[in-house]
Amino acid sequence: MQRSARDWLDRIHALPLNGPVRIMNVCGGHERSITTAGLRGVLPPQVELIPGPGCPVCICPEEAIYAAIQHGLRDEAIVVAYGDMLRVPVNVPKDEVRTLEEARALGADIRPVASPLEAAAIARDNPDRPVVFLAAGFETTTAPLAALLQEGAPDNLLLVMAGRLTWPAVAMLLDAETPGFDALIAPGHVSAVMGADEWLFVPEKHKLPAAVAGFGPESLLAAFYSVIRQKLEGQAFLDNCYPEVVRPEGNPAARRMLAASFAVDDAPWRGVGSIPASGYHLKGELRRHDVREHFPDHGAEQRRRAGEMPPGCDCARVVLGKIYPTACKLYGQPCTPRSPIGPCMVSDEGACRIWWSAGTRKAS
Amino acid sequence: MWLYSSDIRHGTFTMCLGIPMQILGIDGYTARAAAKGVERDISLFMLQDDTPAIGDYVIVHVGYAIQKVSEEDARSSWELFDQILAESDA
Repeated sequence: MQRSARDWLDRIHALPLNGPVRIMNVCGGHERSITTAGLRGVLPPQVELIPGPGCPVCICPEEAIYAAIQHGLRDEAIVVAYGDMLRVPVNVPKDEVRTLEEARALGADIRPVASPLEAAAIARDNPDRPVVFLAAGFETTTAPLAALLQEGAPDNLLLVMAGRLTWPAVAMLLDAETPGFDALIAPGHVSAVMGADEWLFVPEKHKLPAAVAGFGPESLLAAFYSVIRQKLEGQAFLDNCYPEVVRPEGNPAARRMLAASFAVDDAPWRGVGSIPASGYHLKGELRRHDVREHFPDHGAEQRRRAGEMPPGCDCARVVLGKIYPTACKLYGQPCTPRSPIGPCMVSDEGACRIWWSAGTRKAS
Repeated sequence: MWLYSSDIRHGTFTMCLGIPMQILGIDGYTARAAAKGVERDISLFMLQDDTPAIGDYVIVHVGYAIQKVSEEDARSSWELFDQILAESDA
């Protein structure tokens, strides 16, 4: 019998907390549930919930977005991208095109898609034109792309590969001198694909409590209870509070398809820099779908502030859980979902957008 | 949230949160599936090791089923999404 959210909350309040416990989540979906359900307001004040690297739109390399814009404008390709990506600005002088949306307004053929299947359908419907897909996302989004490639994608579907693995960012934070958190909530659907066991390194190598959580308040509160209790008892293990969906080994078919399609290599995260073994790259004969085999590599062009966050924007520290969104000096003024400056305010999974939508404003 | 926000709402969607759908019909690796009255074609290609049947519930992510899920879990997820969307609209 599943316990209720109320029940988990009572159990958390009954724990003998003797100091702060900082719990990081690495999934925009988790952050959204936490914020929507108002969990920060009902937990003991010692419990801090930190949104960490959980937003693939936020860390999608600036160079990749710039390249996609140029493929639309200069190479006259059809460019398809997940909806959020259309509004993320790149760092260019004021008179140049900053977003895919602006490129579309100038006549470039830019189309939002919600699935690799839609990207493939557009390629099939336009066999005489190159269709460039800005393939951003974490494992949950990259695995479906792998499935598409394994099933057979049209030859004119070309990829700007921006897929990233989640765990290496957590490993990077934990390898740093001051990780900034005491326990980890592992992402539910990333773990459904890759397996809960992927997070064993957190308790085993770094001696930090960890728990996989789903997206309902019951599952999240169960995971908070687990990691707080582990910390109080001086333990560190991996708990699975989402066993109905997440298995230790994940989805083996999906992992096979990922392995058959992509090699994993060091890769840049916007505003963060290169993270070891964190990026998916096309491998073997699938490299024929690499856009750089067909067009100039616009991403490698020399530009001022290439790869960085927009000037003045603190998204990089928000993404790494170093500061809360409200600590960015642009939060709310001038950066809002209506006229976003940084990617964290664009994406539905960005902590800034989630906090703003829930009504969180700067303390004045 | 591929189904709700991308298609019905403001043209955006969430990339790391899948939504549960019920399978209505299967043709090869393609299935017709529904969530709260909205129907879509989805791919079952990633569930080759554990093929679902008509009537089963799956979590769908960017058009692909990534895992089976119970009816009870599907229903509680739908309630959660309604709550999140109500909040985003506020």
